[in-house]
Amino acid sequence: MSGERPLRKLALAMVAGAGLAVWAFPVLWALLTSFKTERDVLAYPPTFVFSPTLDNYREVLFGASSILPNLASSVIVSTLATLLTMLLAVPAGYALGRLRYPAKRASGFYVLATQMLPPVGLVIPYYLALQKVGMLDTYTGLIAMYLTFSLPFAIWLMVSYFEDVPLEMEEAALLDRAGRLRALWHVILPQVRGGIAVTTIFVFLNAWNEFMFAVVLGGNRVRPVTVAMFNFISVEQTQWARLAAGAILAMAPVILLGIFMQRHIVKGLTVGAVKGGGRR
Amino acid sequence: MSAATAALSLEAQERRFAFALLGPAVVVLLLTTTAPLVYLLWSSLNRIELAMPWLSGFAGLDNYAKMGSDPRFWNSLLLTAVYTGATVVLQVVIGLALALLVLQIPRGQAVLRIAAILPIVLAPVVVGLFWRTLVLSPDVGLVDLVTRTLGLGSHNWLGDPQLALISVIAIHTWQWTPFAFLVLLATLATLPPDVFEAARLDRANALQRFRHITLPLIRPAVVMVVILRVMTALSAFAAIFAATGGGPGSATEILNLYAYRTSFTELNLGYGSALAVVLLSITLAVSYAMFRLRRARG
Repeated sequence: MSGERPLRKLALAMVAGAGLAVWAFPVLWALLTSFKTERDVLAYPPTFVFSPTLDNYREVLFGASSILPNLASSVIVSTLATLLTMLLAVPAGYALGRLRYPAKRASGFYVLATQMLPPVGLVIPYYLALQKVGMLDTYTGLIAMYLTFSLPFAIWLMVSYFEDVPLEMEEAALLDRAGRLRALWHVILPQVRGGIAVTTIFVFLNAWNEFMFAVVLGGNRVRPVTVAMFNFISVEQTQWARLAAGAILAMAPVILLGIFMQRHIVKGLTVGAVKGGGRR
Repeated sequence: MSAATAALSLEAQERRFAFALLGPAVVVLLLTTTAPLVYLLWSSLNRIELAMPWLSGFAGLDNYAKMGSDPRFWNSLLLTAVYTGATVVLQVVIGLALALLVLQIPRGQAVLRIAAILPIVLAPVVVGLFWRTLVLSPDVGLVDLVTRTLGLGSHNWLGDPQLALISVIAIHTWQWTPFAFLVLLATLATLPPDVFEAARLDRANALQRFRHITLPLIRPAVVMVVILRVMTALSAFAAIFAATGGGPGSATEILNLYAYRTSFTELNLGYGSALAVVLLSITLAVSYAMFRLRRARG
């Protein structure tokens, strides 16, 4: 059967390869651009052969408009938001996935429904409230805002991992009179270690990439790297090589995490939808 | 009797434990999402113009009434429908076609999957900036290079109103088609091969096999992808904002961007709130309709 029609196979591979090159190429092109001088960037026709320079990286790291403070800002916001999210989401996910209690369906639906709020509808009240109490441009304000999208997502992703743990393990632990908290800590949590790692990375990734909340609630003190990238284009109109170098630095962490996580991407992207529509 | 009491107390114990674990998260969600929602509903009933604070005050339904005669609002509604419809259809059709093709390639799928992950993990604002500069700028951009080589000439992709709309649709499609592709590829890979073998023996051609076997089997996955993609498209922001800012004029100003610009460029947060409430209503109505559809079919 296979190898029967090699020409057809070749054609298939070429079509698929072309389609996927379209996805990889802009990223590779940006990588290439980041090593060009601004002169080479504006060359027509675009050139593949040029003498590479590290000046752009030197400039965006240590120059006048260094993005190091912005990277630090992103690290602080994303890390704290992720920690807080996971501390709340793991226990909540366990309760929703495993325990019996009144109004369980309603509470699950509530968590799902909070995800329906459009970001712009949330950022307006946050802006008004934080402005009133003088908390614009603070880490606390932005981190609270990040919980609005990370917490419902993390809870539902954790539910799906808790549901995969065999029931017998839990029952055995409970029969041992271990106590519920100890059973959760010593028996269940070790089973979902992988799920916790995946959820943590996803939450971090989403926080790192966020833009609208950061641009509205941030300022001179709190300015994540996504906002810095945007300012680059408005301030330094044609310095694309520097923009490319900054973007490559800013996106390197998420690209590496994404490749590392590739097996779990589909699950992470579809969580919630499976629940909201199916099951009940 | 003692057994019954024990069971009861075990149940009560479980309930208490569940509330203790779930409580903190629910309280935080109430404070961070539900309270702001109430505030949004309230601010949509007020006139709040930061540039003219002395005009602020309760305005009843004025903000909503104003929409009826606001051409920019109707324009943004139309653009939202076009943008959402076009991007979702393109993503599903291209994603499914590619998944069907790639499924028949025995080796090299791993490389393709990595390429597909790249756009998904990039920040939409960075995607918008890449396209605005390296891909779509006249003369030196990649797209212009292609059209010039093909003899179609150079175009101002983000400066011309119609081309700008097509461009932002292309950007969104570029970034999110991999999502449809990956989900559908994973679904197709789980289908039992013997069904197709039997159909082949029955001399069903490729199109018949697709229509009568593959499509019904993957319908739930397709519907799920459509629902998720519609939600993302309705709240698309950063890529458009970075590429065109909603312009030129209001050529790419979907409702989400209009609400944002009204609130944070024109500092009219009362009217912006009302626009956001309309967007929320549309999101809820659309998702309700689609979940109904899914349950009816599924």
